Amino acid sequence: MLVAFDALFCLLVIGPLISCLGGIGRARVSWVHFGVAMVTAGALVCGAGVALAAWCRGLPFTLDLSHFSPFTFLLSIDRLSGFFLFLVCAVSLPAVAYSLPYIGRHYGKTRAAWYWALLPLFLLSMIIVVTSATAFAFFAGWELMTVFSTALIFLEGDSEERRRDIFLYLLTMQGGAALVISAFMLFAPLAPSLDFASIRSAAGVMGGPLKAAVFLLAFCGFGAKAGLIPLHVWLPRAHPIAPTPVSALMSGIMLKTAVYAFLRFVFDFLSGGPAWGGYVVLAAGAISAVLGILYALFETDLKRLLAYSSIENVGIIYLAMGAAMVCLQNRLPAFAALALLAALMHTLNHAIFKNLLFLGAGVIHSATKTLQLNDLGGLLKLMPSTGIVFLVGCVSIAGLPLLNGFAGEWIAFQSFLAGGLLPSPVAQVALPLAAGALALTGALAAACFVNLYGVVFLGRPRNPEIAALPKESAAMLLPVAALAIACVLIGIVPMMVIRPLWSLVETLIPGGNFASISGIGSSLQTVALVVLVAAAGAAAIGLVTRAAVRRSPTWGCGLPHLTARMQYTATSFSKPLRMVFAWAYRSERKLEVSPAERPYFPTAVSYHSRRTTSYEKTLYRPIINSILAAAQQLRRVQTGNIQLYLLYIFLALVFMLLFMRFR
Amino acid sequence: MMALKAAQFVLLVLSAPLVRGIVARLKAALQRRRGASIWRPYADLGKLFRKEDIVPPSASWLFRAVPRLAFAFTLAAAAFVPLLISGALLSFTGDFILLVYLLAFARFLLLLGAFAGGSSFGGMGASREAMVSVLGEFPLLMSLIAIAVISKSTSLVPIVAWTATQNFFDISAVHVLAFAALIIVAIAETGRIPVDNPSTHLELTMLHEAMVLEYSGPSLALIEWTQAIKLNLMIALLIGLFLPWGIALGAGALAVAISMALYLLKLLLAAGALALLESSSAKLRMYAVPEFLGIASGLSVLAIVFTVISKR
Repeated sequence: MLVAFDALFCLLVIGPLISCLGGIGRARVSWVHFGVAMVTAGALVCGAGVALAAWCRGLPFTLDLSHFSPFTFLLSIDRLSGFFLFLVCAVSLPAVAYSLPYIGRHYGKTRAAWYWALLPLFLLSMIIVVTSATAFAFFAGWELMTVFSTALIFLEGDSEERRRDIFLYLLTMQGGAALVISAFMLFAPLAPSLDFASIRSAAGVMGGPLKAAVFLLAFCGFGAKAGLIPLHVWLPRAHPIAPTPVSALMSGIMLKTAVYAFLRFVFDFLSGGPAWGGYVVLAAGAISAVLGILYALFETDLKRLLAYSSIENVGIIYLAMGAAMVCLQNRLPAFAALALLAALMHTLNHAIFKNLLFLGAGVIHSATKTLQLNDLGGLLKLMPSTGIVFLVGCVSIAGLPLLNGFAGEWIAFQSFLAGGLLPSPVAQVALPLAAGALALTGALAAACFVNLYGVVFLGRPRNPEIAALPKESAAMLLPVAALAIACVLIGIVPMMVIRPLWSLVETLIPGGNFASISGIGSSLQTVALVVLVAAAGAAAIGLVTRAAVRRSPTWGCGLPHLTARMQYTATSFSKPLRMVFAWAYRSERKLEVSPAERPYFPTAVSYHSRRTTSYEKTLYRPIINSILAAAQQLRRVQTGNIQLYLLYIFLALVFMLLFMRFR
Repeated sequence: MMALKAAQFVLLVLSAPLVRGIVARLKAALQRRRGASIWRPYADLGKLFRKEDIVPPSASWLFRAVPRLAFAFTLAAAAFVPLLISGALLSFTGDFILLVYLLAFARFLLLLGAFAGGSSFGGMGASREAMVSVLGEFPLLMSLIAIAVISKSTSLVPIVAWTATQNFFDISAVHVLAFAALIIVAIAETGRIPVDNPSTHLELTMLHEAMVLEYSGPSLALIEWTQAIKLNLMIALLIGLFLPWGIALGAGALAVAISMALYLLKLLLAAGALALLESSSAKLRMYAVPEFLGIASGLSVLAIVFTVISKR
């Protein structure tokens, strides 16, 4: 197994080398890329194997790479790392497979070579993050992850606007990284080597206020990476502009490294965090979940919509983690374990269906050349297989039963029911309210994804050019279909992930009761059976009465015929909900009728609606302005006059001498 | 016991059109009309099942699959509800959450069906129905959770059995608040006045009817039946959670007979109340519906707060 772990790293480094050599040499490009993809896939399979052994069997692995690096570089896999390593390796396999046809179709030789050089390195950096066992190794992976993902985003183009978005991404990542470093450094006095084992024992003897500081730094630092509101501003800008498979990896997997790191800090190092920590996480989760999906509902660009829905799903994960912390603080480990299980389960599920939806969006974009919901329509008839696969993704992400999204949320709901058993009155109200937030989020997500699917796949094409589409490409569709199958399997037989996840949860929160959830698998299968029988029965009624089926045009209320533009669009569908939740959007509408002098007989009407709730304007702009103002003040010291600088040096020297003398 | 559970499930499903018929008849009586027979909905279903299924040209296979699947999911939800005995065909930890989500799945499908029709009416109805359902989900789950917390159980059947053994006059504020919230949600979910008018076909006022406007024949019959089951299910849920006294706690023949007679009485009361409400109030303007459901949300949050207070 250790060989497999070594192979994982070697192969992931060999891949880019091949790509670079292929880019220079004269070999047939497609074969070089095929080779890199195969090598990367082989590495990921090795990694998934190692991960499964560590996650399910609890076999620990340690790999010491210190002799390759200037600092202690220790990688080790326990059950928690094993699960996340599996997430990185197994769930990114479809994205790698999908990249082959996608990159072949969209990129020229140079860009493709760059892509295949960077993709394995990006995966490698995520693997380092989830397996590192020293602060330095963690940090190396954490920073490389940002660097490589940024480079991959640049492959799609570097216009002025994209540069701004990428700059914002880098800025947030660096800000978050600064907080994370500070969190690690607070351990330094007690654990100078900063490896995870000594950090763990240092946390045991740490004072309360210091622990609280570590918690807050980790919460904000990893929250920036996870995209918690209001630290999310970079996410809906950076994710959609990446190449589609990279968008999928960023949303589906890279965000989860922040979840991993937060879990590592809170449950492994700090064993539960401060008493109020649970409520902070709960509140952040609830706000991100509800606002994330509300903003998603407003979007009409498919990839941006999916990016906002990632914020929502991260919110759900934080909601469950917060419940786990609250239950743990109130000495109710059985329910804490349940909540943590829900968080991990949703982490896996979101990785699967978000990858599915992003890759599916790529399939749609390749065929139709647009991602604007209101330009699409009727795709189910033109791309039947894509339509079915995408439907599975939409139902899963809406959290509806018999698909994987529900299985995780159901466990979360059951852990929120612990509210009644907790001693603290605050928790007794907070946990049911969290359940309410999850219910509202679920309902909004269902509305959002009905809207998405209905507008894109049902009805008739809104754009006549769409009516003639190329045939669906099996090479692009197969990886997406594999993810859809995983959604259905986990949805109906959730025990196959609950069981190994439970053994992981037990290492973090001992004292859980497996019997309380062991019925979930069989009950969902019973319901699936009931639904199947009932649906077959309902279909059979038509056969018995022998009712005919006839195609006939829809009545057009007296008009000669209905046109595609008369259909409800995504914007019109979400209108009532946007009016109800107007406080969240504060939308600004612009209606232009031309000619203006004859408003009752217009030749053209244009309607524009824009969300004005802007975190940049109301939250970040004042901060940036005050920083700039402070910098202005500092400029008085910084005159550019060399004599003055010499004076500064002289004064500093005098000060140091006096300090050393009289200290 | 199993036979009884199956029988009450079948009863819930098959009697659904009858409940609609009774409500319609009571409404007619309140409006000094003679009204149609209470068996009329069955005749309607029979007629629709024999008619041809007309499918719009833009519709895909999903259009005809939707009513069948929505029916199946609603049926699965009905399997959780105790009616005459304190038992149900399906019962396990957290089943009321599953019930809510099975109904949500059915609605998800019907919303998709509306888009599949390709006309503007479908989208209009779907958009409005989505608004009502989004706002109804929060109070629905919150009041169910409040009841679950106060009765210290996580599954419908034990909750109903627990309530049936309590003294009626001892009933807590949680029950009163959750009951009020759930009534509002039930009206909204089943599309009755004052949220939606099931007998209107005017585009300005339609919610549910606009959503299913393109359906005909057996597909429409299944949708109508699904809607009737949902109404019956909601009434059964309200009776079971807040007025279960008399429900058979064992499987004795006499207990079941008494339970059945009492259930019929409660059902008639509920139908009467619904008919009275529908005859005496006007449909709300659509943008007043969020406020109406907001009241339910407020009540359900209060119910949760009272679970803390009433225990002390």
